[in-house]
Amino acid sequence: MAFSQKGAIFPVKQGAQDGILDFIKQALGKDCFDAILVPAKVPGTESFTYLLIRDEALLKNAYPLPPVMSVQGAKAISSLTGRGKGKKRIAALVRPCEARATVELFKLGQVNLENIFLISIDCPGALPLAEWAKDPKKAEDAFSEVLKGGPSESIRPICQICDKFSTTGAEDLHIGILGAKAGSIFLIPHSPKGEGILDCIGISAEADISEWKSMVDKLTEMRGEKKRQAQTELAAKAVGLDKLLDTFSKCINCHNCMRVCPICYCRQCFFDSDSMKFDFEDYLKRAEMIGGLRFPPETLLFHVGRMLHMSLSCVSCGACEDACPTSIPVAQVFSLVGARNQEAFEYVPGRSLDEPLPLRVYEEEEFEEVEQSYAGVSAKREARDA
Amino acid sequence: MREFLPNGRLEMPKVLRLNKGTEEGTRELLKFLLENKKVKGVFTLIKLDQSGGVAYSLVTDSDMIENALPLFPLMPANAAKMLSRLTLVEPATEVIAAVVRPCELRALTELIKRNQGNLENFLFISPTCGGVYPLKMAVEGNIEEKLPQYWDAVKKGEIASDIRPTCAGCEHFTPYNTDMTVALIGNKDVDKQCVISLDTDKGEQFASGMPGEIVEGGVESEVIKGLQSKREVQKKKLFDELGDDGFDMQKVFEKCIGCRGCSKICPVCYCHVCFFDSGGDEHPSCYYETELEKTGYARVLPAPVFYQLVRLFHVSMSCVGCGLCADVCPVNIPLWAVSLKIGEAVQQSFDYLAGRNIEEGLPITTFRPEEFDGVAD
Repeated sequence: MAFSQKGAIFPVKQGAQDGILDFIKQALGKDCFDAILVPAKVPGTESFTYLLIRDEALLKNAYPLPPVMSVQGAKAISSLTGRGKGKKRIAALVRPCEARATVELFKLGQVNLENIFLISIDCPGALPLAEWAKDPKKAEDAFSEVLKGGPSESIRPICQICDKFSTTGAEDLHIGILGAKAGSIFLIPHSPKGEGILDCIGISAEADISEWKSMVDKLTEMRGEKKRQAQTELAAKAVGLDKLLDTFSKCINCHNCMRVCPICYCRQCFFDSDSMKFDFEDYLKRAEMIGGLRFPPETLLFHVGRMLHMSLSCVSCGACEDACPTSIPVAQVFSLVGARNQEAFEYVPGRSLDEPLPLRVYEEEEFEEVEQSYAGVSAKREARDA
Repeated sequence: MREFLPNGRLEMPKVLRLNKGTEEGTRELLKFLLENKKVKGVFTLIKLDQSGGVAYSLVTDSDMIENALPLFPLMPANAAKMLSRLTLVEPATEVIAAVVRPCELRALTELIKRNQGNLENFLFISPTCGGVYPLKMAVEGNIEEKLPQYWDAVKKGEIASDIRPTCAGCEHFTPYNTDMTVALIGNKDVDKQCVISLDTDKGEQFASGMPGEIVEGGVESEVIKGLQSKREVQKKKLFDELGDDGFDMQKVFEKCIGCRGCSKICPVCYCHVCFFDSGGDEHPSCYYETELEKTGYARVLPAPVFYQLVRLFHVSMSCVGCGLCADVCPVNIPLWAVSLKIGEAVQQSFDYLAGRNIEEGLPITTFRPEEFDGVAD
């Protein structure tokens, strides 16, 4: 991917989070966009959600980098624009994995980006939702340590092995924190829309951003190595039918993982449909074949079905794992499967709005090894028919 | 309050006594039923191989009964939901014995009233219930070590510590529509003697031929009454945590992330397509733009208060307080208290108790010429 090598340096008075808010205030004040979609505390509570904010004064509730991902940003953008674009120009400030999921939802026809300015931020990771739910105050304190560059053990396992914590280049604008000198952040435009915002607030994108670039590259490599290690360990525990059954043995079929998944957008899940309702005799026969049938049945089938549906677009955001009441490492397994499937198609979800979904692309020559076996079948049939 | 004597329940039920621990005795009964072809299958909790958890299973092979833990204090799913699934398309064509908890039996009764299953060909076995532990405890794998104190509390008719708040505050722990009741609460010899009350003719028929003695007598009732009042105190405490009159919904539901696990897992939330899956709660972008104009900000989905209100509106009449909704909540919303409190208030206003009796019509589908005069005015 060719990233722009230039950006703007935006002065920051306090921390990066305040700097980002300052930037938003300026842009809102100068009418660069009409409103901002940003993670924020629900007024009067400790909880985070996505708020669409127009009034500058209300930005005091905004947390561009909240300690948890209680709602996946791509889902929020889909809520806003899924039924068509609005008249207002809205900037959406999201984590990189949320931006990538948004790009995937765009390809799947679930968001309209025409009046959206997609802005991502270098992401320090998020804390496990369960930790935060136990004690929000404590979690916020732990996260402020993470933001200061403290030890990252407290962030979610899936974030610890994330090597796509920065821009993929598909956003309109990226906010770089890594490698920035104290008192500044980078604003890196990737599209005419992004450049427009910088023009609008009157700063030019001519500054050198190689410091940011080299920090991102360094961390990407480190995380990549960590990811390979973690995935090798996980593969030893989870790959193969028996191991997969073990891994998902605690699944109670609540479908939380599916509901919070940004990519799982089906109106009615196949597993909730009449196709999965069987008559008594059917269940009894299945029980008799093996002596006993677990209820609810098809828990593993559900996960395999879900993998088949969304793993090519899986951005490893970890929302599924956060929502699992029985602590199954759903995100880590799905991320592993996703990585393998994506690699097979040389596809990176969320990398580019123009890169089509692999399953929609016809390529005359691919997966020849699969083709062979079919060719064999058809040759036999032809011989028989002749 | 109108009195209902559950269907076919004998006034002076006989009792089956086995000289072995209650769980083992119950297992023996299940094995007996399968081996003697009195039933084709048994629906009960089965121990999962390694993880230490349990899952409901439809067992047809009597050897597999060795792995059954019919009384294990965990509810991995509401059995009513599972049995509804089993009999939704057609009634059972073979006899199945099902060991389920009283609240699960009540939930099933509600589902039957809503045409979501069928009771035909079922033999129900249900314990006087000591409650269950939170799912999270099973995940952490430390229920086993709690078992001695659990059974001790059950013997004494006390509330076992660390059981789910909803169980600690549940007064309906004796089964209503069962064919056999396994005596747990107040059974001082629960680990030495298995006592099963044969509550219906069907229960008596199926138990006949079982090694052991069938004698006159009922299940312990003084201890049960004692536990009932202890649980009532606990329930009041639970309600008080929400606030005296009414509660701040915004505050209670604020953490909701919109996963709707509470609905998916709820036995009485049976809609095939949930309103919230149908796009009913989605808005065109002009809605958000109008909100922006009005207040300067708009909250995008999820809308927790709206969702929870609609759910309460739909299920509170049939809520049996099984507590699974709270069990699966990834952000610990105290749904046990909410469901129990609202459910009780709604049901009491109609003199109704969810799952008490299959003959008792659902209040909202039953016309009574005179009710809620105050509203009529």
